[in-house]
Amino acid sequence: MRKGLLVSGLSLTMSLVFFLVFGIAPVMADTVKVGVVGPRTGTAAATGKAFEEGIKLAVAYVNSKGGVMGKQLEIVFEDTAGAPDKAASGFERLVIKDKVAMVLGESHSSSALAEIEVANRLKVPFIVAEAWADPITAKNYKYVFRAGPSNSGVVNETIAKWVVHEKFKKAFIVAENTDWGLGIAELTKKALEKAGVKYDSLVTERQSQDHYTELSKIKAFDPDVVLAYVYGTGLHYFVAQAGETKLTPKAVILDGAGPPSLWPDFWKNVGDYGNLECFVSSMHEKVELTKLATYFREAYTKEFGTAPTDYKSRSIFDAVLIAADAVNRAKSTDADKLVDALEKTNLLVTRGMVKFGTQMGGPEYHQWMPPMLIVQWQDKIQTVLYPTEGATGKLKK
Amino acid sequence: MNGVVIGVIYALAALGVSLVVGIMNVINFAHGELYILAGYFSFLFADALGWNMYLSLAVAVFLVFLFGIFIEYILIRPTYGNEMYSLILTFILSIVLQNAYLLIFGPYPNKPPTWIKGATEVFGLFFYGNQRLAALVVGAFVITAVFLVIKLTWFGKIVRAASQDREMAELNGVNTLYLNMLSFGLGCALAGAAGVILAPVFPVTPTAGVQVALTAFVVVVLGGMGSLWGCVVGGLVLGLVENLGAAFLSTGYKHIFGFIILILVLLIRPAGLFGRKEI
Repeated sequence: MRKGLLVSGLSLTMSLVFFLVFGIAPVMADTVKVGVVGPRTGTAAATGKAFEEGIKLAVAYVNSKGGVMGKQLEIVFEDTAGAPDKAASGFERLVIKDKVAMVLGESHSSSALAEIEVANRLKVPFIVAEAWADPITAKNYKYVFRAGPSNSGVVNETIAKWVVHEKFKKAFIVAENTDWGLGIAELTKKALEKAGVKYDSLVTERQSQDHYTELSKIKAFDPDVVLAYVYGTGLHYFVAQAGETKLTPKAVILDGAGPPSLWPDFWKNVGDYGNLECFVSSMHEKVELTKLATYFREAYTKEFGTAPTDYKSRSIFDAVLIAADAVNRAKSTDADKLVDALEKTNLLVTRGMVKFGTQMGGPEYHQWMPPMLIVQWQDKIQTVLYPTEGATGKLKK
Repeated sequence: MNGVVIGVIYALAALGVSLVVGIMNVINFAHGELYILAGYFSFLFADALGWNMYLSLAVAVFLVFLFGIFIEYILIRPTYGNEMYSLILTFILSIVLQNAYLLIFGPYPNKPPTWIKGATEVFGLFFYGNQRLAALVVGAFVITAVFLVIKLTWFGKIVRAASQDREMAELNGVNTLYLNMLSFGLGCALAGAAGVILAPVFPVTPTAGVQVALTAFVVVVLGGMGSLWGCVVGGLVLGLVENLGAAFLSTGYKHIFGFIILILVLLIRPAGLFGRKEI
């Protein structure tokens, strides 16, 4: 009886091992899984939509070029809802449950700052796409990379230089109370001080819908330019209410993030007050730096029936290509080999040639900063103002 | 002035919660999502379908009223006697509705057409959005109408009777089952009215209702659970405190000031400004 049980148990175990090795394993190995984190719900769910669109095009592109290590690329998207706790647990789920080789994405700095701790603990490569806070790469974690803008990069290379270029005398900084908003505001203050531009600033709540009190304070300062570091629908409220209170068009508003000024309902929400608003962007159809950028626009238009607007769809497209390239060069999904491959990245994507910084000690470590543009809405047409070499027109006031 | 306008808006958003709490002792966690639903309806009818704007507003509020009756019949009625069940069920409903909005309307904000464009210079001091001024007038009108209905009509008498002593009202022949259904529908319709009035000022998004509901609950607790007058005073106090705090202290903690006032009031008057003490 006991012998019978032993035989049965052994047979069952061997069957299970055989099934796992020859049954499930080949099926699982048909794809290489890469995780994506981002907000599909919550106040910035529009970013999740942009990510989904970019991922769809990137996966089709990568798989049409032979996939990764001869297998199909598969993306597993985890919703973070823009909340750090959900972001951290979602990241962990991707690694533990879905067994992804690496993780990409994110657009909330607060969430990314929670996720990099998990990436560091679990030793999984993480390429941040659109979370800008400097500490994300300034912590110099081995497994954390950023293929996208950083606060210091955007301020020092684009915004501050543009303020000086336009000869603005007085600037007002409005920052939402998030890691991104507060961080970029501090960097802007330092840059404006260095440039000798007079400024004042205030902090606003991220969830705030009513900005009348803030606007009366800004109006009292009488600025030439308002640098608005407010993300999401809040930016629409801010622009519309700035128009109602007649802060604009006397002062020019710069949307320091960009995408909300490009969302489909921007004009419906802000009305005519959106005219002459400026915003930061990494995408413009007349400033396409590579052939891949043109490919992206054409593929996007073909797939979704409209031209791409939210540049975050293109950021995640690039991030997926960078990840696929690293896996192909590493010929492995081993984390350390992937980090090594990522550090040696030399890949042309839609926004230029990707090369990650390897100098430790600051936010430049594992950072690749894509070129950013300052664009102005002029009669509902996007006019590139800065950098001057890519400009398609001049600032209108 | 902005404090008064925002205060009236808060009061309007909270009135429906207060009515339902006063009569049924039910806290509707999905109140904010019903506000959003009305905003989406008015956007859909007036913008996407091109209906007359005023007809769109009326139909949107009526549909939310019907939806409220449906919720009461399906979800709330089986839970009478256990307030925790209704609280959990409406909380689940709020999550379901948020995700349904995301699926149907997408993540972007949606705004119904503006009633009156532009801004007016007030006393030569500052400019104020015309749509906000219109929201103030219509909001004040709706609040007054609710008070008149409660004070002067037969339905209002029943509502007041049931809210003071439910058993005695039943003994006097009031069908509290129907009263609950109508009251819940009316509470939802008030959320809808706030939604259609404010959606042209603050466009609706799938999750914007969370903030609306939170503010409404703060107003209701501040004013006293179930007190309609408390709702109005609570809304005005909250609106003024937030705006004065933002103007003179910090704009970064606007909503914290409201909670500080709430805590202070509850320390001095645990039942709220106009709440009745439990005997």
